[in-house]
Amino acid sequence: MPSSHPRRNRAPGELALAAALVIPIVVVMGSLVFWPLATSVIDSFYRIDPMKPGTPFVGLANYGSLLADSNVQTAWLNTFAYVAIAVVLETIGGLGAALLLNRVKHGRQWLLAITVLPWCLPPVVNAIVWMWIFNPSYGLLNHALLWLGVIDARKVWFNDQATALFLISLVHVWRMMPLTAVILLAALQSIPRDLYEAARLDGAGPIKSFRLVTLPLIASGLAIALSQSTVFAFNLFDEAWILSGSSLDTRSVIIQVYLTAFQNLRFSSGMALSILAMLASLLVSLIYVLRVYRETRYD
Amino acid sequence: MRARLSTLPGRIGTAVAVILLVAWSLGPIYWSLVTSLTPPLHLLGTPSLWPQQISFEHYAKLFGATSMSQGNTVQSVWPQFSAALTNSLITSGLATVVTVAIAAFGAYAFVRLEFPGRDLLFVAVVATLAIPAYTVMIPLYRLMISLKLIDTYTGITLIYVSAFLPLALWLMRSVYQAMPISLEEAAWLDGAGRVYTLVYIVLPLSAPGLIASAILTFLNAWGQFMVPLVFSPTLATKPLTVLIPEFVTRNYIDFGLMNAAGILAIIPPVLLVLFLNRYLVSGLMAGATK
Repeated sequence: MPSSHPRRNRAPGELALAAALVIPIVVVMGSLVFWPLATSVIDSFYRIDPMKPGTPFVGLANYGSLLADSNVQTAWLNTFAYVAIAVVLETIGGLGAALLLNRVKHGRQWLLAITVLPWCLPPVVNAIVWMWIFNPSYGLLNHALLWLGVIDARKVWFNDQATALFLISLVHVWRMMPLTAVILLAALQSIPRDLYEAARLDGAGPIKSFRLVTLPLIASGLAIALSQSTVFAFNLFDEAWILSGSSLDTRSVIIQVYLTAFQNLRFSSGMALSILAMLASLLVSLIYVLRVYRETRYD
Repeated sequence: MRARLSTLPGRIGTAVAVILLVAWSLGPIYWSLVTSLTPPLHLLGTPSLWPQQISFEHYAKLFGATSMSQGNTVQSVWPQFSAALTNSLITSGLATVVTVAIAAFGAYAFVRLEFPGRDLLFVAVVATLAIPAYTVMIPLYRLMISLKLIDTYTGITLIYVSAFLPLALWLMRSVYQAMPISLEEAAWLDGAGRVYTLVYIVLPLSAPGLIASAILTFLNAWGQFMVPLVFSPTLATKPLTVLIPEFVTRNYIDFGLMNAAGILAIIPPVLLVLFLNRYLVSGLMAGATK
């Protein structure tokens, strides 16, 4: 109890001061995050639909109809595709950029600023910039590929579902890769130089010392980067919405939530879907964290 | 000898990688800038990597009272554009000021003061970082309707604060934790009170952390799309991110205009990166690795 506490002579008003400083946080987070979250969970078991009278308890019916809905199934598959493409490309690209930034001595601050820039821009503007590049008639991509001889006729990129999913993921990767790069750069910079010296003296080449020194020591950074990439790719909305709207071919789960709740006004169904999406993204990122820790830990 | 031979290919490799990274990061922005400066008719021809002829026609559509479009005088979009620009600045600015203020004072309590439930509250607030914003959006929408806060600066600002406060709080707590308590103790011995010490000693010393939190909050708010798409239906609060995609009309997409508007919308983030990148990166690193 207090007698064992190192600073006994605290001012009498300390508790009041703490309350004054913390109450704004409690009020904002309580009313705008925790209460709505609880409501979301509870209301997903009711039928809440402004077009229908009453709000009867329906148990798991909202969840059941979501599982049966083919549009929802497509949205899940699209989201998994976004997550897979985005996480792989962001991790490879981000690790490459981080290794490069860690190596560059002159002008590192400038290179870092350039690398971080896409992350800082509004996702909507990014999507518009890329939409113009992907434009079938006048876009840079078609012209460049024609000029290089890769394709022999202009392509309408978004006519093909796989291509559309890949290109939307690419725009997302363009924005999110800097975050992975910065996280991994921070991890790389925390590795003591003499470990590489020691590995080199033991005869380890660059690949071996990367595998034996770098990788284990950036494991926790990698886990954080992977979770971030996953959560953000699960929440992909802006890029897909700007580039191809409500099209079923590219519809993500979040677009499905938006359409269900705010265009079809099926509130409780939207809430049930948003809770499933939240659980899925938390679960997948938890798996990464556990796996990366297990595989790279040296006891 | 062996070392010298291996450094030359290494250096070339590094240089190529640097060029690729710069082209990947800046290429699309450069292309957007070129597009925004190209005369409308040239946009329909073969693209060239630098503008053959510079034209401010697209920007004139954004700023002028009227402008020419396909030979006709048309109403310019300045009224909508200026309203949306103002809305973006006001909502992002308010969200930044309120978030950083609450986080700067609140985090102090989490580090230096003791009160029941301190750690539990902190963990609960920071855990919401993992909860995607849309999970709470539908109840929030009904709450905002009942409070009549839809399409108001207050409503949008409150939502932004609740979304970005956890990160700012986390950052500020790590800043205070890294600060030696001896400075504050010296001030207390001189008879300074807690609040005085916080405002006149701790906050000025935390300036880099405050700047980092402010930048991250501002960038997040500036780029928001889904929240204002739902909560800002009219130009009373509609930001640039929601307005710019609306330049797509039924029969044609004015890419020149959209790129010009996009270039203007990225000016604030670009300035932040140019002048305050050090703080931004340290904030990202602290926010991501602690």
